[in-house]
Amino acid sequence: MSAIRLDNVEKTFSVGDGELHALGPVSFSIEPGERLAIVGPSGCGKSTLLRIIAGLEEASAGTVTVDGRAVTGPLAGAGIVFQRDLLLDWRSIIDNVMLPTEFRRNAGSGSRTRARALLDELGVGEFAERSPWELSGGMRQRVAIARALMCRPAMLLLDEPFSALDALTRDQMNVVLQRVQTAEKVTTLLITHSIQEAVFLSDRVLVMSSRPGRILDEIEVPFPQPRRLAVREDPAFAEIARRIRLHFERTGVLVE
Amino acid sequence: MSVEASDPTVRGGAWRTPRVAAPSRAAAWLLPAASALIGLALWEAAVAYFGLPAYLLPAPSAVVQAIFTYRSVLISQLAFTAFAAAAGFAIALVLGIVFGAAITASRTVDRMLYPWLVISHAIPKVVVAPLFIVWIGFGLKSEILFVVVFTFFPIIVNTVTGLKSADPDLLQLARSMGATRWEALTKIRIPTALPSIFAGIKISATLAPVGAVIGEFVASNNGLGHVLIQAVGSLETTLAFAAVFVISVFGIAIWYAAEWVERASIPWHASQRGGSNTGF
Repeated sequence: MSAIRLDNVEKTFSVGDGELHALGPVSFSIEPGERLAIVGPSGCGKSTLLRIIAGLEEASAGTVTVDGRAVTGPLAGAGIVFQRDLLLDWRSIIDNVMLPTEFRRNAGSGSRTRARALLDELGVGEFAERSPWELSGGMRQRVAIARALMCRPAMLLLDEPFSALDALTRDQMNVVLQRVQTAEKVTTLLITHSIQEAVFLSDRVLVMSSRPGRILDEIEVPFPQPRRLAVREDPAFAEIARRIRLHFERTGVLVE
Repeated sequence: MSVEASDPTVRGGAWRTPRVAAPSRAAAWLLPAASALIGLALWEAAVAYFGLPAYLLPAPSAVVQAIFTYRSVLISQLAFTAFAAAAGFAIALVLGIVFGAAITASRTVDRMLYPWLVISHAIPKVVVAPLFIVWIGFGLKSEILFVVVFTFFPIIVNTVTGLKSADPDLLQLARSMGATRWEALTKIRIPTALPSIFAGIKISATLAPVGAVIGEFVASNNGLGHVLIQAVGSLETTLAFAAVFVISVFGIAIWYAAEWVERASIPWHASQRGGSNTGF
């Protein structure tokens, strides 16, 4: 059974008098343990798609099922990382990681030891007692990932998690994320607009069109995990990236 | 275009001199102290030079002497004023936060209360103070009620602003983590609101003694406000100055006390971190 399954999911927003067709119809599924990346241009509805899967927004049409059950509200068993780290300034780093365990739904689902271990795994263990504002953007996002993993979610939903980071920090975060994914054995859906990031971090890439977002292509990424950053210089990697880029050029997202 | 011109935080104006160019630490208090001393000296000299009578303008030295002479009266009357201010402020604080929370929680309450809030704030309170005597009689109760009316507005307004200013993305995140409405309130909304609520508290806390004094003008036989109005009435201007001085010192003390509580309560907030190595 698929971990996540979407059937003809669509989303329309009402804008003034009219309607804005933002997404779909979109159908795909993610297998347990799989790492799926969705790459698409800004405004193609890919963040909306993630929010629908997370149960934070309702689809206008179509169905989403997680582990065979239809999604009706905020999804238990999913850890989410947004583009902004959204750490709470009034809590120490470790207390930020502990936050999800304080909500009734997750009662008793994580200990301080677990939080500490996650911070260590993500390379920010030494900052556990510090405050968010003392950390750099990359370090803060590592904490956000630790928080998302705190309650041992079956899946990790990442909504452009590294878009606000500089290129070098971003590469580093790709390595860190890959390591923690392996350690935590978590099904992952990554939304990004970086072709390279999508290919590097996933087993399979879905290419989305501009609004209304539809799936243009589906590409298997054959490299075994874990991968070295050098894999990006591999001709086969470049070929996959080229294939994605051509979709964007053909549909006018990229113009030369 | 220069960097300065394009950066709004820079254009906002430097309210503190940049650390690099800042004069020494001593100058930070020496200059204001010197300025105050020069002002007092000029005042003293002007009174002597023009031979002004004490009922018109007492010399600072005479005021100091009066404070010393009347110290026991001033202190005991300050206690009255301080009590009325504290009681009124405490009631205003509770009312302000409760109503603020109700306004945030319900649109209906918001719309129903809004006109009353605006009206109550727009009415010149000093003018209606005498009505309080008519309604609830002369004395402490009227005075405390006047302090409440005088101070609750900043608290209510800042509570509403604070509770409404929680980051929507943060609330969304909390929702995805399974937070209930109550949990989102206690873990996200209230902490977010605290800096704003403290801003209201600081304003109201310093308004409270002013409100108490005005209340005493019209509705009390006690307190520094009563001393003040009596002194002015009998042309004992020196005593009036002494009373004003004591009230002012009290107000300043309240301000710093409120700042201290604020610093202890929200050390995480940008306004409290102090480590502004931003050059401002």
